[in-house]
Amino acid sequence: MNKKSSVKNLLKRRILVLDGATGTELQKRGMPSGVCPEIWCLENSHVIGRVHSDYRKSGADVVYTCTFGANRIKLGQYGVSDVVEMNRELAFIARHAIGKRVLVAGDIGPMGHFVKPFGDLDFEEAVDIFKEQVRGLAEGGVDLFIIETMMDIQEARAALIAVKEITDMFTMVTMTYEKDGRTLNGTDPVTALITLQSLGADAVGCNCSTGPAEMIQLIATMKPYATVPLVAKPNAGMPELIGDKTVFNMEPEEFAAYGKEFISRGVNILGGCCGTAPDHIRKLKEEITGRKPLAPVRKSVSAVSSSRKTVVFEQNKHLLIIGEGVNPTGKKTLQEELLEGKMTLVRQIARWQEKKSADLLDVNVGVPGIDEQKTMEGVINLLATVSNLPLVIDSSSIKVIEAALRLYPGRALINSITGEKEKLSKLLPLAARYGAMLILLPLDDRGVPETAKGRKEIIKDVFKEARNYKFTKDDIIVDGLVMAVSSNPHASLEALETVEWCSGNFKCRTLLGLTNVSFGMPQRKWLNAAYLAMAAGRGLTMAIANPEVEELMNIKAATDVLGNRDEDAAVYLARFTKTVPKEEKGVLQKAITPAEKAFRNVLEGNREEIESVLSEALREGASAAKLVHEVMIPAITEVGELFDKKEYFLPQLIASAETMKKGLAYLDPYLRDDKSAQEQKGCVVIATVKGDIHDIGKNIVALMLSNHGFDIIDLGKDVPAERIVEEVKRSGSEIVALSALMTTTMVNMKQIIDAVRNEELKCSFMAGGAVVTKSYADSIGAYYAKDGVEAVRVAENILGSVIK
Amino acid sequence: MKSVVFFDSINISVPRREIFSRLGYRKGITRIGKDQKEVIEGYIEYALSLIHLRGAGRRISIKEKSFSNIVLSNGVVFESKNLSKMIGDCEEIILMGATAGDDVIESIREDTEANQLTRGVVLDAVASEMVDASLDWIVDYFNRELRRENKRLTKSRFSAGYGDFILENQKKIYDVLEFERIGVKINENYILMPEKSVTAVAGIQSRFSDAKRESESE
Repeated sequence: MNKKSSVKNLLKRRILVLDGATGTELQKRGMPSGVCPEIWCLENSHVIGRVHSDYRKSGADVVYTCTFGANRIKLGQYGVSDVVEMNRELAFIARHAIGKRVLVAGDIGPMGHFVKPFGDLDFEEAVDIFKEQVRGLAEGGVDLFIIETMMDIQEARAALIAVKEITDMFTMVTMTYEKDGRTLNGTDPVTALITLQSLGADAVGCNCSTGPAEMIQLIATMKPYATVPLVAKPNAGMPELIGDKTVFNMEPEEFAAYGKEFISRGVNILGGCCGTAPDHIRKLKEEITGRKPLAPVRKSVSAVSSSRKTVVFEQNKHLLIIGEGVNPTGKKTLQEELLEGKMTLVRQIARWQEKKSADLLDVNVGVPGIDEQKTMEGVINLLATVSNLPLVIDSSSIKVIEAALRLYPGRALINSITGEKEKLSKLLPLAARYGAMLILLPLDDRGVPETAKGRKEIIKDVFKEARNYKFTKDDIIVDGLVMAVSSNPHASLEALETVEWCSGNFKCRTLLGLTNVSFGMPQRKWLNAAYLAMAAGRGLTMAIANPEVEELMNIKAATDVLGNRDEDAAVYLARFTKTVPKEEKGVLQKAITPAEKAFRNVLEGNREEIESVLSEALREGASAAKLVHEVMIPAITEVGELFDKKEYFLPQLIASAETMKKGLAYLDPYLRDDKSAQEQKGCVVIATVKGDIHDIGKNIVALMLSNHGFDIIDLGKDVPAERIVEEVKRSGSEIVALSALMTTTMVNMKQIIDAVRNEELKCSFMAGGAVVTKSYADSIGAYYAKDGVEAVRVAENILGSVIK
Repeated sequence: MKSVVFFDSINISVPRREIFSRLGYRKGITRIGKDQKEVIEGYIEYALSLIHLRGAGRRISIKEKSFSNIVLSNGVVFESKNLSKMIGDCEEIILMGATAGDDVIESIREDTEANQLTRGVVLDAVASEMVDASLDWIVDYFNRELRRENKRLTKSRFSAGYGDFILENQKKIYDVLEFERIGVKINENYILMPEKSVTAVAGIQSRFSDAKRESESE
């Protein structure tokens, strides 16, 4: 029996007890702060040996080697280059200390650098770094591996792949979760479990960060989806400062008392992390001895994951939508962007499809002339960080799929395998190696069978072959393979029959590439939506479709209710129940004049309607001047008052100001003959001072002043004093408004004021910006305005007062 | 001196409360109509599709320090009484920085030119708060790393351009962090570009000495 089978057999019979903390034990026994623990342990092997043997005597079944940081990156910081030797020696020390009846776990901790896409370390480099450590530990005779305290799922994957590519030994992976129940990078426990167990981890769990009470909840969350044993290594409570020492204050008895609950919630491997000592492990062992472990509740799980989310393909749950947006077929702009290596559009499509309730994202980057592998890797790295949705890797190239699976920080769905012999023989082992799920297209080397009968035979053959790689019906989703009804009127029904047979008789999950059905037809959205409803009635699990099509998503919501796939119709009700506030109803019911509408448009910042409303008002006989002075200026004044009272905030103020601006521009031709309407309050030169590139506040002030009748000369940002002097001379403006965001650039305001005054130009100054205060403005001889609304009042006051 | 740790993509929860607060929203006072809220949420979503948070951090030991300056092991000198006071008895510091990337800044510029200032202002606020929150995330990351050494970062952090820690120091931090590797530039006025980029300094202390010092300062 090999080492892996031995550990698995042990786990069938009993709970395995792990050791407790190593770091805090070493500190207690004299390891100074700031040293490299691995080097110190080699130099003081009797101390670490004693820690190991104390844990053995306490009843630990597994002892971790003291190699948490024994990787190339961390050891390199202490000048150690022979990583293999260091790991081998530390494994020897552990073995020597505990003998052969207790298992030695080769301990692998994080490198201190994140792996792409979350960090700068190339994935393959990370795998190589871990492989070096794995080799040393394997040479040192460890019985199993533990990858622990991981906060980056991609780093955990790299370490797991490294172990798997070097040895077949039993490997546990434990992540560390923050108070919010996620790793620092946002991975939740179920997602980590789905990703790691599918990639080949033999046990998955959590360690450090929390005490036992909190960790029990994490274990309970994972258990329903676990196909492997679960591991927990909690701290001895949370750290507290007592006197002059930080202590984990949970006594061994209290710590051990959680043992039974851990087991009842499904843990199979249990130990202690920071603050636990041999006494904690002794008490824990006593507490749980004789208790039977709960085996994993399932052999397989139909679920995919991203780095931050899991989607479980459960029966009787709502019909899932795979967003088809990231596919350049027929999308010229996306094709061009991908060819140029740009990702902006991909990012926007992905986020938008997620917002529109896609459950997964199909990713296809096939464009003629493109480096598909490189582009796919780029898109996966991008989407892993900008979208929470699990990805469907859609490519006809096995090389591209392999590259994607290796890099993807979750459990992916491959689109697709077929019954084609060569493809099948390559894709099945590849998917098995990375634990991916598969979409099966029921076609083979003879082509696409026209009837459902022919497709069923292929489906059965492929599933039979897939069983050789330990795939189950949970792992493969059958595509009904719908063709265009425009070329074959039977196509839709044959695909539906395939879906129904899979759902009912064969009992596997199903999918349709929905939009194929309507190809070549006008108004395709109706055919797509109707077909979705028909397929949902036959038990369809998911559809590849565009979630941005409102009609389709509405029909989907309706079919979920009618098919009893939306409990209490909660999703449907949330989608369609929109409450209109009472006051809005009142407004809608009451007939108002165009002028009143224009007032409301400015008040509510409704830029879209203002021109048509003003046009209507003019048609009904209102003069442009009257609309400006009696409607729009009172409206924007009210907006200013609401802003002052904080009943409006900045976006509302600006939306109103922009509406006003648009309205004034529309009325401008009608005002040309009206002198009273044309009257300007004065001219303002406005600029962000030299050295400062922040200009959004200045732009707001310019907009507000412009709306209130000031003639604005906006010189932009990073403007030197000479340019301002020149413009004041040329325009004869009455006011110079200056903005600065930083203390370092604020001082340039005074230089500008001095420069203008040296030229004996008659004008006043206004100053504002994040760091500018009234006292500073006073000190340089400028008026102060804290925001755009106040700037209008200040400017109006200036022109009614003496020059400052 | 340890090498720079780069974070090529920082994932954080969107700090909505801070974004709205930055835009002047006051709970219980500010009134937003449903349509307006949807529009603003749409702008926030658009901003998020443009923001790519990246960061860097580096742990460096302090070679010498006095009440008015700090000499790092790599020879970099920070002259600042305020910073020295904050660093206290720390023997090491963390230099850190983060950026929201170019795309969002470019979009703000385009919006401003196209008289879409409302969206530009929301993009600006989202980018500012996201980049601040990403520094908090970097602090959490280093605290996680330091926990095993029974250490943590000082609760305060200091940025160049504040108090007597003059903006010129931004260039020193920029160089030490190899900030150009995450697409950030610095101009002759020591301003980081893209605009929504920040740097900061925090001290590394043992949990005990940090708590003691903080209670003393109270």
